Amino acid sequence: MAHANAATAQETKAWGGGRSPYNVSYGKMMMWFFLLSDALTFGAFLISYGTTRFFSSVWPDANQVFKSFPFFEAYNLPLLFVSLMTFILIMSSVTMVLAVHAGHYGDKKNVTKWLLWTIVGGIAFLSCQAWEWTHLGGECGGLWGCFTNIQTTPLSTFIHFYDPAAPEVQHVLSTQPLVGLQSTHNFFNYFFTITGFHGGHVTSGVVFNILMLVNTVNGTYERRGHYEMVEKIGLYWHFVDLVWVFVFTCFYLL
Amino acid sequence: MSAHNHNQQSNQFYYEGDQSKLYSGIMAHHTDVEGTESKAQIKKIWRVFWILLVVTLVEVFIGMKLSHSLNKGLIITIFLGLTLFKAGYIVAIFMHLGDEFKDFIVTVLVPLVLFVWFIIAFLMDGTFWLHMNNTTPSRAHVEQMAHSSH
Repeated sequence: MAHANAATAQETKAWGGGRSPYNVSYGKMMMWFFLLSDALTFGAFLISYGTTRFFSSVWPDANQVFKSFPFFEAYNLPLLFVSLMTFILIMSSVTMVLAVHAGHYGDKKNVTKWLLWTIVGGIAFLSCQAWEWTHLGGECGGLWGCFTNIQTTPLSTFIHFYDPAAPEVQHVLSTQPLVGLQSTHNFFNYFFTITGFHGGHVTSGVVFNILMLVNTVNGTYERRGHYEMVEKIGLYWHFVDLVWVFVFTCFYLL
Repeated sequence: MSAHNHNQQSNQFYYEGDQSKLYSGIMAHHTDVEGTESKAQIKKIWRVFWILLVVTLVEVFIGMKLSHSLNKGLIITIFLGLTLFKAGYIVAIFMHLGDEFKDFIVTVLVPLVLFVWFIIAFLMDGTFWLHMNNTTPSRAHVEQMAHSSH
């Protein structure tokens, strides 16, 4: 009986303050909860995209929209460039987790090395995105708000975004060009909004990584006794990679 | 410690604190970066990298070659399945969520169950709008106006 009472008292104390019931530091737990809220934001964007796509009788075909590669614009290379972007982002996730790993061992040299590679990966990804935006912006005649007027952007300006081998799609486009105009407009608005929001996350991730690199080289974390900051920003960086996995599926594959 | 006696080091303490006691298992502080435990962990990271790469290549292959010939429902199931598979590896291994306490894992993952309802509700709504758009008489009228204005 006395034992049971002691055990109950201990359990009550676990949540009574002054302890860490989850065995997770405050900063890291709050990073997780921030990422949870960010996941809901990205989820809202992607579900909104899905809803719009579901109520559209035609929708641009990813294999037709994303078929260009820098310096090889004349060739038909569907999905190749975005595969490269995905590879770069996965790779930078690996270098980030290796930096976190080195941080667990207080290995300053390797934290510096892997953070540097992560920054290189992040900048490479952003450069790819800059090219893709420039390329698609050129095809649309702008970023947001294109394809709103059937007089200035007739069917001939957007029909090449659709699957030429699908007779039912081609039938809708030829009989109801306004439906095609609206779908093309929605597709590109969502594309620039969602990849832009993701790219904004990558940009701030790169900035955080640069700040951490400076702190690591200056020995700030070494004096502090732990590299927890690398872990926290590492969580953010992996989350950005995680979001890309879903963006990749929703925009380029489905 | 007196509140009036903050030097730079105590500020640093309040900012991050000594949280080294909060780590356990894989999160604990280690010393031997060349040890077998460290090497095994690095090997695991690279194994996950190869899994993610191969799954992505399979997705791209299906997207390029099979997405127009296979059944649409099957394609969606395959892509969503592979996406969740990749997401699981990133969260469990790269973000080390698999190494945290089970209670914490549950706390982080349970709110995401809301997405099940979000997705079902909004996609059903989209399907209904499509039905309305295709059956409402004004649609044909609008298209006719667009044609006659050429």
